[in-house]
Amino acid sequence: MIRPLRWCLLALWSLTASAEETLHYPAEPVAGPPQPLVVHAALDLPQARPLLKAFHRRHPHIDLTYRNLTTLELHQRFLDAPDAADVVLSSAMPWQYHLANDGHAQPLSGDVARGWPAWARWRDELFAFTFEPIVMVVHRDLIERFGDVRSHGDMLELLTEHADALAGRIVTYDPVRSGAGYTYAIEESRLSPRYWDLVSAMGRARTVLADTTGEMLDGLEEGRYLLGYNLLGSYVRDAVADHPELVMVVPDDYALVTQRLAFIPRQAPHPESATLFMAFLLSEAGQQVIAEQTHLGAMHPALSGPGTADALREEVGDALRPISIGPGLLATLDRLKRDSLLARWRREFQREVPPLRLAP
Amino acid sequence: MKRGDSLYRRLLAWLLLPLLPLGGLMVFQAWVDARHTADRAFDRLLEAASLSIAEQVQWQDDRLWLDLPPAALDMLATDAEERVFYSLVDRDGRFITGNAELPGDERGDAETGDTLLFRNVAWQGMTLRQGVRRSRLEDWRLRERFEIRVAHSREGRDALMHELLRANLAYILAMALLAVAVLVVAIRSALAPLTRLRRAIRARDPRTLTPLDLPLPRELAELRETLNELLARMRRVRANQERFIGDASHQLRTPLAGLSARAELALRHDDPARWRDALVAMQATSARTARLAMQLLSLTRLDNPEYRPELAPLDLNDCARQAVRDHWASCHRRDIDLGVECAPQPVRIRGIDWQLQEALNNLIDNACRYGARRITLRTLPHPPTLEVEDDGPGIPESRRLLVLRPFHRGEEGGEGSGLGLAIVDSIARAHGARLTLSQGPDGHGLIVRLRFSEENT
Repeated sequence: MIRPLRWCLLALWSLTASAEETLHYPAEPVAGPPQPLVVHAALDLPQARPLLKAFHRRHPHIDLTYRNLTTLELHQRFLDAPDAADVVLSSAMPWQYHLANDGHAQPLSGDVARGWPAWARWRDELFAFTFEPIVMVVHRDLIERFGDVRSHGDMLELLTEHADALAGRIVTYDPVRSGAGYTYAIEESRLSPRYWDLVSAMGRARTVLADTTGEMLDGLEEGRYLLGYNLLGSYVRDAVADHPELVMVVPDDYALVTQRLAFIPRQAPHPESATLFMAFLLSEAGQQVIAEQTHLGAMHPALSGPGTADALREEVGDALRPISIGPGLLATLDRLKRDSLLARWRREFQREVPPLRLAP
Repeated sequence: MKRGDSLYRRLLAWLLLPLLPLGGLMVFQAWVDARHTADRAFDRLLEAASLSIAEQVQWQDDRLWLDLPPAALDMLATDAEERVFYSLVDRDGRFITGNAELPGDERGDAETGDTLLFRNVAWQGMTLRQGVRRSRLEDWRLRERFEIRVAHSREGRDALMHELLRANLAYILAMALLAVAVLVVAIRSALAPLTRLRRAIRARDPRTLTPLDLPLPRELAELRETLNELLARMRRVRANQERFIGDASHQLRTPLAGLSARAELALRHDDPARWRDALVAMQATSARTARLAMQLLSLTRLDNPEYRPELAPLDLNDCARQAVRDHWASCHRRDIDLGVECAPQPVRIRGIDWQLQEALNNLIDNACRYGARRITLRTLPHPPTLEVEDDGPGIPESRRLLVLRPFHRGEEGGEGSGLGLAIVDSIARAHGARLTLSQGPDGHGLIVRLRFSEENT
């Protein structure tokens, strides 16, 4: 009775709709007996490819199969066949945590696991290997007309003062239809009660609700929206690079940070290859690849410079709020909790909007 | 004595052996305590989490409603990163929400207020500590019952338990070491007087027989007294021996000096008749001296405590008759009436024939020597008794004990050696018989009576 709900929730998580994509790196015959490795992930190929390439260069005897799935498919597939994948990567933190909490993950031993920061792992079973801030994207037109927006406070002030001028020009996640949006909402409501003021201000400004970061970015690039709230930082970087009229803002009062979680299933068919892959993922070399060739954000404590958590921390100071990997995540999956939170969210969002004007 | 058999080890073993189960019991108790303490401390988390969830349970849309506080779940995980499970069920036990359908608890409700039950449950291969809170809505009219079940894995509890147990074990170990050290010191100090006594005995000159004089605890003081008594006995024995040797050498010296003087006197003369007289006298003296030496020898042999001859069954009547046969001729020459009165049936005892003969010889000799005219040997059956009665001068009652001592003669200047009665006394003691001296039936004379015990037959 809880499962169906989880499925539809998870279905809403997907950032971009994508069919199954597979990458295969066959083992080099000269490198010794081939060792299979199956990675199931919710991580798009452009981000995953450099990582996989680097890993295969380092361990050419591994016969590597990579399947990119939506978070929903990933979860479904895992529960159907818990012995199919050697490594499971996903950005859907509550679901990953839920699997590990139920004892589906096996502990990773070794120095790499022990050296990993305690706040970014759980029981040596679940490891966060990326560091992606949740950001605002501001159009330069908006800055010119209304001034800088650097924080949630600035945004609340802007929405309160210019609700009519900005009507329909703000975009954010629909927490009802997007799993990621719902997760951010629950985390932000825990961080500050003023979140509800912001929701109600966004409602007054007739904010447009979108399902994915991609959808929001499209609208921003086209100039339909002047401000996007709660976009996934790793996807924004590319768009900002291509469109100079857009500015990525990491709020300096607080900025949520989401992390992708990886674990080795307890019934992994090739635990040795899986351990090798995890060791690479968490190693300085692997993290270097993440920092330099992807936008995921490396978080190895020894790394600094562009594309690392360290650089981000220097930029915005101690405003970063990584979503903590703990039992609190289980609340996100609770059906009644979701109903309660969304009810509140709707109430706040529609509080000062006349019912007539809400009609589509 | 086999190796390791020492008082010290025996004491140590007997004192330490009971300590072992005691220590085991303490360790077990410490384990139980540590587990209990850890559970009590961590059960407060279950209590607080279930309370904070229960506070959020409401009635909405005709059903139970829960706005789950994430902090309540975070509360259940400590540094040990426990796995966390929760569920809300209604009064009929129907699952409303949660991440695991946790089992219920069979136990009954508390008297008042919320019911809180804690226990360990096995769930999907994991051991969990579960807290169940039964509560009810505090609405204006609704009193709907519901149950919050929270559970987490035991890592934090086990870590705390091991920490507590380690501290307790260190304490117990320290106590055990202290107890052993105290025991060792106590036993050593308790046994120290024994060592002192041993050293005192070992350090003594082997010839000294002076009493041991050193302060000792009561138990050892008894041993010291016993030793001192033994030493005193040895002192007496040695004094006796010294006196005996002195007397014996004195006794031997006198006739030897007499022999020497007689020979010297005879040599001044040229008359063979004088020589002959002297030789006759010297022969008598040397015969007496030889007899004295023999008596001394037999007395020494009889008094030797190491000498334990085998007792053989014999008939006292035979002994008495034999003695009469041996002495009849010499007595007859001296006109002494020697007779025997035997019991009608054999008087059987266990004894040594030659010793009894020796005793009778000595008694008959004595009687002859002190001027008896009539000597009667008598045997009586019950108890077996051997009597020698004479009509000589007898011995006054005051001196009867004295005459039993060696070299004591009934009358000064007699020609006896003074050993006869002492030898009889020794023989009597060797046979476990009682020697009594008494007056003859008509007020004079002497009856020497050897009364054997009945068991000796």
